[in-house]
Amino acid sequence: MHSVDPSPIQHLMREMGIDEASVEYRKRIVGIEARDLERIGAVRELVVQNAERLTSSFFDYLAGLEEGRALSGDRVVLARARELKREHLVAMVQGNYGLEYARQRLELALLYNRVGLDLRVFLAAFHHLLERAGEILTRHSGLAPLEGFETFMSLKKVAFFDIGLIVDAIVFERERLIRQQQSAIRELSTPVLQIRDRMLLLPIIGVIDTARARLVTESLLRAIRDNRAKVVVMDITGVATIDSRVANHLIQTVTAARLMGASVIVTGLSAEVAQSLVALGIDLTKLNTVGDLQGGIEEAERSLGYQVLQRERPAIARGE
Amino acid sequence: MAHQPSSVPIERELDIVTARQKGRELAARLGFSSTDQTLLATAISELARNIVAYAGSGRIELSQVEEPGRRGIEIVALDAGPGIADVELALKDGYSTGNSLGVGLPGARRLMDDFELRSKLGVGTTVTAKKWLR
Amino acid sequence: MAVPILKQGEFLIASIQAALSDHDLVDLRDELAGRIGRFRARGVVIDVTALDVLDSFGTRTLRGIAHTARLRGAKCVVVGIQPEVAFAMVQLGLSLDGVPTALDLEEGLFLLGARGGDGASAV
Repeated sequence: MHSVDPSPIQHLMREMGIDEASVEYRKRIVGIEARDLERIGAVRELVVQNAERLTSSFFDYLAGLEEGRALSGDRVVLARARELKREHLVAMVQGNYGLEYARQRLELALLYNRVGLDLRVFLAAFHHLLERAGEILTRHSGLAPLEGFETFMSLKKVAFFDIGLIVDAIVFERERLIRQQQSAIRELSTPVLQIRDRMLLLPIIGVIDTARARLVTESLLRAIRDNRAKVVVMDITGVATIDSRVANHLIQTVTAARLMGASVIVTGLSAEVAQSLVALGIDLTKLNTVGDLQGGIEEAERSLGYQVLQRERPAIARGE
Repeated sequence: MAHQPSSVPIERELDIVTARQKGRELAARLGFSSTDQTLLATAISELARNIVAYAGSGRIELSQVEEPGRRGIEIVALDAGPGIADVELALKDGYSTGNSLGVGLPGARRLMDDFELRSKLGVGTTVTAKKWLR
Repeated sequence: MAVPILKQGEFLIASIQAALSDHDLVDLRDELAGRIGRFRARGVVIDVTALDVLDSFGTRTLRGIAHTARLRGAKCVVVGIQPEVAFAMVQLGLSLDGVPTALDLEEGLFLLGARGGDGASAV
């Protein structure tokens, strides 16, 4: 139920670019060398014997903190996390920190992320665990103080290698949520409305950046085809600021619509904005602008109605 | 990872069509939107056209690229032509020494996410451009 | 010939197929210039619905065709530019400067037939 099946982890690893080479690189960054593997090998038995105790120290510490309840409150998740953490401790002293080891760390990271475990709290608990491990090494390994210290530092390199993976994975997952939300917001704020047969209204509200401009243009072009639109009223009353970049985006949108055979009427360009655009030297004479939205819709209606009347009347040049 | 780059020799203007079709196929396979497929195909078209117009022949290499957190397509356009004396100028809008609109290279750059042009006089030109899945 | 040209009343319709080479486009220009005179055509519709890429050369040639047609006394409308293609064209910085456009063949013929002057959506 709460076990993380392998596919999302494989997927995450691919997305994060975690492969043999990048794992090797991570090991190099924290400085794990052959010497470290030897030292860790010497205390392997001791750590494995104490794995249960160390695991408890981690979760007891979490349980003692308000923010740690996210994990300790759910029994099923907690049991799985304990199991993984115990495996982690055993794996930590096996000297084999390859792709499979990284995969196990990410599995635990995904679990932490799912319950929304606070990163600070995770780091504190992990540090607490290391402290206990240090104590055990000093007291029971039988190593001389300097040797014991060096062995502990070797273990700490592995611990930092682990932390790097776990923190990266949690941050990546949280950013994914932000990325999804951003695109959802963009999607929502770009409506293209059909208000008459063959006539679209495109109200643009908020900030226009390159990504948003692209989305607006794409959805407008698709709507032109789907609705067989001939006229588009693009209202920019709600655009926060219009500088040369934004103006360029708008001109591109209009040009693309025209390429598809639809004419665009731009409304809602305030006097101040118009003046500042002129001062910036931006040429908007290519745009067909009408003062307000109502005027724009009326003009669009005229242009559509005019085509119906034209069979009986002589051609009248349109004001484009 | 299992994706072999494909290489399209560009010798005649007919090859331009082949190159952009290959690019579109690869983009579709990787899950690019139809708009992005078109942007890629158009950029390939401009780059291939550049090879035919200025170097006579060369090739276009298409491959899948992966970086932490993203995947994309890489286009490499290579030729052993005369090279470009002023790379900065060649990337400026409206500049063209050949019979084109002067949008070729700067235009292709706008269609792609990453764009790098290396050129040596008498040796040739290499354009490396990437587009990432969004 | 790579591009079939149909005659419908006073109008010529050229339907460009996918994956057109540069030469085919240049041939089309020359062929149209000849037929406009022979059939005394009033207008030409170039249907690019099937084109999945319009790059700088393609755009320039289309403009050339339209201007040649106009010089031969026929109005020319480009129809069927797809949303993705239009988007890529503006990203490239291309436009059809003064060449009328319409959504599809039907609209293009309507534009040529029902209206006297230059098209409503000249780009």
